[in-house]
Amino acid sequence: MDLMTSLRISSSGLEANKKRMGAISSNIANANTTRTVEGGPYRPKEVALGSEPARDSFADILEGEIDAQAQTVHATEVISSNRPPILKYEPNHPDANQEGYVAYPDINVMEEMANMIETGRSYEANIAVMNTTKSMAMKALEIGR
Amino acid sequence: MDTTVKSLEAAIKFRNMRQELMASNIANADTPGYKAKRLDFEEALARAIDVDNELAMQSNDKNHFDVGNGGFNNLEPHVYEDPNGVVSENGNTVERDKELAEMAENQIMYNAAVQLLNKKLGMMKYAIGADRD
Repeated sequence: MDLMTSLRISSSGLEANKKRMGAISSNIANANTTRTVEGGPYRPKEVALGSEPARDSFADILEGEIDAQAQTVHATEVISSNRPPILKYEPNHPDANQEGYVAYPDINVMEEMANMIETGRSYEANIAVMNTTKSMAMKALEIGR
Repeated sequence: MDTTVKSLEAAIKFRNMRQELMASNIANADTPGYKAKRLDFEEALARAIDVDNELAMQSNDKNHFDVGNGGFNNLEPHVYEDPNGVVSENGNTVERDKELAEMAENQIMYNAAVQLLNKKLGMMKYAIGADRD
């Protein structure tokens, strides 16, 4: 357990938030996408987060119980949400079905914006921790000087 | 080594650990089901230093084992999940602002410990005449 582990934990936080931001930007960009490679309208993406003990080697695992407490965070999977699409009556649209309805993804841009702000704050908090850890590590180098 | 250096070393070590736990708490501030973790060492350290000499067991020979105050060898911090956290709808109890505030305090106290240690080492250096030539 040392400051380098703290840095690794914070960088896992940055990575996870970057993935969340990726999903959000994809959702906003595709808010009106009616045609995808998989067929049908775009399905909104969501990122699931999970934590795991911050240990990188077997020796670490054998070490004391306190070490098991600190957890890194990981984006465990990207889920395509099953929200049903919104049908709009646009008979002249190339993707309209027989009855003239077009399936649009159910994306609430407001909701995505709120998620984006939260993700940004999360990212910043991890950066702040990283900077503090870094300055503590630099301070430790001054011992005995 | 005397108590000052030992206790400062212990304080620095535990503040490192606390920093790591806070990094973990902030990284997992949005992880469903994650519970904020805390580390307490102040009481254990106070017991080990035993400034008031109230906790040490009475012994009639100075060669007797160090009992009662536990000494520095058995110094263990207490790590636990914060029972006072507000649980959000996804089961997470991390409050990001609180963590950052505590982290600032931790950093200041860490820097203070490092400075004190430097002063102590400086005094030792002075005593052995390293500064006198």
